[in-house]
Amino acid sequence: MSTYPEDAADQYRCIELVLETTPDAAVISNLGTSSWSLIDIEDRERNFYMNGAMGLTTATALGLAISTDDQVTVLDGDGSLLMSLGVLSTVAERDPSNLTIVVMNNGAFETTGRQPTLSKNVDVGAVAADCSLESWSVGSTEEFADAYAAAVEHDGAALIDLAVEPFTPEDYPSLDYAHSHIKHRFRTAMAGDR
Amino acid sequence: MDWHDAVVDAFNERDVEVVAYLPDSVLAPLIERLEEESFDTVLVSREEEAIGVLAGAWFGGRRGALVCQTSGLANTFNAMGSFTVPWGIPFVGLVTHRGGLGEHNRAQIPAGYGMPDLLGALGVRNRQLDSALDVKSQISRAAETAFATEDAFVLLMDPKLGELA
Repeated sequence: MSTYPEDAADQYRCIELVLETTPDAAVISNLGTSSWSLIDIEDRERNFYMNGAMGLTTATALGLAISTDDQVTVLDGDGSLLMSLGVLSTVAERDPSNLTIVVMNNGAFETTGRQPTLSKNVDVGAVAADCSLESWSVGSTEEFADAYAAAVEHDGAALIDLAVEPFTPEDYPSLDYAHSHIKHRFRTAMAGDR
Repeated sequence: MDWHDAVVDAFNERDVEVVAYLPDSVLAPLIERLEEESFDTVLVSREEEAIGVLAGAWFGGRRGALVCQTSGLANTFNAMGSFTVPWGIPFVGLVTHRGGLGEHNRAQIPAGYGMPDLLGALGVRNRQLDSALDVKSQISRAAETAFATEDAFVLLMDPKLGELA
């Protein structure tokens, strides 16, 4: 059902907009392109980069959102979310107002070589709405900027289905940290106001 | 001591606040009790979500437990293998152990009876809850080691624990 506009949004620029709009947000990024882009834009203490556990990105953000008052933004992917579509029902049950789910919908398993996903058969925004989540379906960087600001303001969990151009960084940014460093840096940064 | 009391006391002793779960007939009354005691319970649609929810809760400074059946724990294996274990994300698991004494469903046997070996292969420490020993102490010590070492620890529980303990 998804039909991507010719001028689908620029994923990298949209992640920059997330950081500009909510500079203090905890950002949990799906494995692959979202994580690489986020690292490349800014390796913030409040970033957590999934590097496995495909399908678990939004569930992880939900667990954090019910444990902090701060904004939590998740950069998920269409392939990852389709693996665990049931998580939207779990999110809806708690409906935390500090949780914003951005689905970088490129219609492909980008990291493994851009093989198509089945998201062409699913209107992700409509599924979220069916789970009683507030949702937006957008296809340009400009529309995303408005939708993201509204989603953050919304009094409840919100999902943005963002049609993006398939994109792979030319060089993978290096992240020369141990897992234990990243997890403790993130956890400590979240503890700042506890 | 009723085993529900043992769970409540052990979780309180170790500051376990969040309980991510998918119920069965043995666990449903426990969940009801945990909700009465104001634990933060999260019903998931599939058990692997619980691995993410508990990780996120720990990032947010809270300790959590996974409560499900062995068939459901089998659903979490890629999540544990590529998140819990390599990142060292702590939680305590309280899992109904199907596939053993009295099992009537062949579908519960491979992942149920075989669960200790499966967990061992994945590198997730586990132990059978022994009904002849103090149940609260075993749960408390499982949580103690999980959060001290930043590691998961799963306790496998006989479905008849309530009659044995």
